[in-house]
Amino acid sequence: MAEAELMTVRENADIKIIDVMTDLSSYAALDLRKILEDLLLEKVDKVVVNFSEVNHINSTAVGTLVGIAKRLRQNGGDLKLCHLGPPLTRTFNLIGASSVVEIYESEKSALAAF
Amino acid sequence: MDKDYIEFKLPSNVCYIESVRVFIGKLSETLGFPKRRAADIQLALDEICSNAVNHGSKSAESRIKIHITVDKRFLQLMVRDTGGENTKQWFTPEKLAEIQARRTPEGESGHGLYLIECLTDGHKLQANKYGGTDVTILFNRTSHAGQDCP
Repeated sequence: MAEAELMTVRENADIKIIDVMTDLSSYAALDLRKILEDLLLEKVDKVVVNFSEVNHINSTAVGTLVGIAKRLRQNGGDLKLCHLGPPLTRTFNLIGASSVVEIYESEKSALAAF
Repeated sequence: MDKDYIEFKLPSNVCYIESVRVFIGKLSETLGFPKRRAADIQLALDEICSNAVNHGSKSAESRIKIHITVDKRFLQLMVRDTGGENTKQWFTPEKLAEIQARRTPEGESGHGLYLIECLTDGHKLQANKYGGTDVTILFNRTSHAGQDCP
């Protein structure tokens, strides 16, 4: 599975934006974790994840996002999510993670929140 | 239709879970579940299979079995693992209680069983004779409300 085809990283000023283009079961969650941890190693501290192409997320992937958000905040940055459709919103709400990670309707509003 | 049965045996590797998740989504919609409920069924199965691979398997050579039963009233899914390297039945009532007590929204793990409770119309965790765990979940075909955890 080619990582570059399913998740890409672009930038807007000092903010990295990850476009996820695959549903996030445990296997794809490993790819997302690797991309986020690589960004941490590169000392990136502001990240937006765009979920506009994602229809499913499991608790492993949610846990990964929560963990990375906490680490980015320790570095003075943050992780913000955008374009979550109803299935993703439901999973975040059930777990309670929507109170831990900032979620925005659009990429523009997520970027503006930094 | 009295009862129909479908069975999968998968290598214990997370890369195979996605295909089964997609299958169960299509099957659920075919059986009349609305899209929202089909997404719940997919998520519950994903969580159980992920637990079976990550906690209930000794290696990638282990197998997990998914047994699907369909009748007029219910869609029932059973996932069987054969136990992990250091943990046989990963659920054990004590372990289950510990996981549930420790779970917080800020935590990175421990959400899977909570989601299973929230999303299903019934669930059962049972030690099996292979040293692992059988997790059975039930979805009502005649009422699609499901449950929502607080």
